[in-house]
Amino acid sequence: MGRGAYLLGTLAAALSTGAAAQTLGDPAYGEYLSGECTTCHLAAGTSNGIPAITHWPAADFVAALQGYKSKTRPNPIMQMIAGRLSDDEIAALAAYYESIEN
Amino acid sequence: MTFNRRLFLASLTATLAAPMVKAQTRPRVIIIGGGAGGATAARYLAKDSKGALDVVLVEPSQTYYTCFFSNLYLGGFRSFESLGHSYDKLAAAYGINIVHDLATGVDRAAKTVTLASGNTLPYDKLVLSPGIDFIDGSVAGWSLAAQDAMPHAYKGGTQQPLQAQIAAMRPGGTFAMVAPPNPYRCPPGPYERASMVATYLQANNPTAKILILDPKDKFSKQALFEEGWNKHYPGMITRIGPDMGGSAIEVRPDTMEVVVDGEAEKVDVCNVIPAQRAGDIASIAGVTENNWAPVHADSMLSRLDENIYVLGDATNQGDMPKSGFSANSQAKVAANHIRGALTGSPVFPAKYANTCWSLIAADDGVKVGASYAPTPEKIASVDTFISQTGEDAALRKATYNESLGWYTGITTDMFG
Ligand SMILES: Cc1cc2nc3c(=O)[nH]c(=O)nc-3n(C[C@H](O)[C@H](O)[C@H](O)COP(=O)(O)OP(=O)(O)OC[C@H]3O[C@@H](n4cnc5c(N)ncnc54)[C@H](O)[C@@H]3O)c2cc1C
Ligand code: HEC
Repeated sequence: MGRGAYLLGTLAAALSTGAAAQTLGDPAYGEYLSGECTTCHLAAGTSNGIPAITHWPAADFVAALQGYKSKTRPNPIMQMIAGRLSDDEIAALAAYYESIEN
Repeated sequence: MTFNRRLFLASLTATLAAPMVKAQTRPRVIIIGGGAGGATAARYLAKDSKGALDVVLVEPSQTYYTCFFSNLYLGGFRSFESLGHSYDKLAAAYGINIVHDLATGVDRAAKTVTLASGNTLPYDKLVLSPGIDFIDGSVAGWSLAAQDAMPHAYKGGTQQPLQAQIAAMRPGGTFAMVAPPNPYRCPPGPYERASMVATYLQANNPTAKILILDPKDKFSKQALFEEGWNKHYPGMITRIGPDMGGSAIEVRPDTMEVVVDGEAEKVDVCNVIPAQRAGDIASIAGVTENNWAPVHADSMLSRLDENIYVLGDATNQGDMPKSGFSANSQAKVAANHIRGALTGSPVFPAKYANTCWSLIAADDGVKVGASYAPTPEKIASVDTFISQTGEDAALRKATYNESLGWYTGITTDMFG
C-alpha cells in the first residue's frame, strides 16, 4: 500500500471517529477540540487580556461562536477559529466548556 | 535534583529487573526536549491518559526560558525572570518523570535513548522536540566560538549578554544584526527584536543606530514593521537587503567589524542570527533529510520511523511557521495520535493553528495568524489574517493585550 493510500485511510478512519463523537455534542470530543482554545483561553477560566470562556450556558456559548463564524462579532482570530468549526463541533465545545471542572 | 534522578533511575532499574510488576506493563513514551512542543506533549499525554502511560520527559535545563517575549525583555517590558518556567508542576501534578539530562543517542532498532549520563531508557514511542541548532559556516567569520563577542541570543535563556552589550554601547554607537535566511524559528522575531532594541536605545541612547543585514528580499509583517519604524524611530533603523549586499556578509569578531559588499564597518554590538537546522538529536536519530525532520501531516509522525514523532521547529511539515504556538498546536495532535496507538483511545482529526504577535513599540502590537489542515503532502494553510497598516492606537493596544493573555495561556498549557 502506498503512503498516500495509507494516509487517506487513517484520515478517513479519524474523520469517521470524530464524526461519530461530534454528532452528540459530546464533551469528550469537545475536550479534544478545546486543545485549540487553551493556547489562549485559560482552562482555569481566569481572564487575563483574553476573556474567560468557562461555565457559560451552552446556548450563549453557541451564540458567541456563531457570531464570530458569521462575522457579526468582530475579531479576526476568533472569526478564523470559529469559521472552520461545524455546528456539531460548536455544540461539542459548548457542552465541554459548560461542564468543565476546575 | 541528582537525588531525584537517582531515585527515578533506581525505580527504572527495579522495573527492568522485575518484568512482572504492574508499572512495567504501562507503555512508555519518552519526550526529548521540554520546550513549546515537548512540554505540551508531555502534559497532554499524562493528563489525558490518566495514568495509563509512563511519560518521561528528558530535558537538561532545570528552568525553561521562553524565547517568546525575550524581545520584550530587551525592550524593557518584561523582566528576564518572568520568562523562566519550572518543570515542578509537570512532575508533581501530572506524574511525569522529568529526567534532567541531555539525550545523546537513539537506537531505533532497539527502541532506546542514551543519555549523557550513560543511562539507556527503552521506549514504546519517542517524541523529539529539540528546537534548532545553527548551520556552521553560514555567516562567514562566525562560529559558536565567537558567540561571546557576537551573540545569537536566539535560543531560550541566552538574551542577557546581548542586553548587557546594548546597555554598554557608546553614545551614538551602532547595533548591527545579521538576519537569518529562511527557514528559521519565529519569522517576525528578528524584526521584533530590532523594534525592541530601538525602544531601548531611544530612551537610553537616542543617537544610536540600528543596522539590519538581511539575506532575504522580504520578511514577515514587513509593511507593518516599516510603517512602525518610520513612525516611532525615524532615521534610526537601516536595513540592507540582498540587493545591497545583505546576503554576502562577513563578520570579524576580533575587531567587531562587519564586511558588507567588500567594505568593513566597525560596529558596537553585533547580533548574528545564523542559518538554522533541526536540533542535533534529530539528525543523530537519523530522522532528518536536508536539515529538517519530515513528518506526516495528520499526526506529526516521522516519515522515516513509525515509532518516532517530531514536533516544532525541528520539523519539515509544510506551511506552518516555526513558532511556539505552532509547536504547541502540533503537540496536541501528536499526543492524541500516540494515545490512540498505545491505549486505543479515539483519534480525532488533526487541526492546527498559529498566531504570532509582535510588539513594534509600547502598546503598538500587531498579529498574523492562520489555520491549517493536513493533506497527504503537507500541513496546508486554510485561512489567514494579518493586522493592517494604519490601524488606530486603541486596536494596537488591544492586540498587545491579547499577546499578554496568550503568553499566560500557552505557558500554562505547557507547564500546568
Ligand atoms: C527572539 C524570539 C522570539 C520569539 N517569539 C515568538 C512568539 O512571539 N510567538 C511564538 O509562538 N514563537 C516565538 N518564537 C519561537 C519559539 O520560541 C519556538 O518556535 C519554539 O520554542 C519551538 O518549540 P520547540 O519545542 O520546537 O523547541 P524549544 O522550545 O526550543 O525547546 C527545545 C528544548 O529541547 C531541549 N533539547 C534540545 N536538545 C536536547 C537533547 N539532545 N536532549 C534533551 N533535551 C534537548 C532544549 O534544552 C529545549 O528546552 C520566538 C523565538 C525567538 C528566538
Ligand atoms: C489565538 C488566541 C485564541 C484562540 C486560540 C481562541 N481564542 Fe477565543 N478569543 C480570543 C480573543 C482575543 C477573544 C476576544 C475577542 C474580542 O475582543 O472580541 C476571544 C473571544 C472568545 C469568546 C467570546 C468571549 C466573550 O467574553 O465575549 C468565545 C466564546 C471564545 N473566544 C471561544 C473560543 C473557543 C471555543 C476557542 C477554541 C476553539 C477559542 N476561543 C480559541 C482569542 C483566542
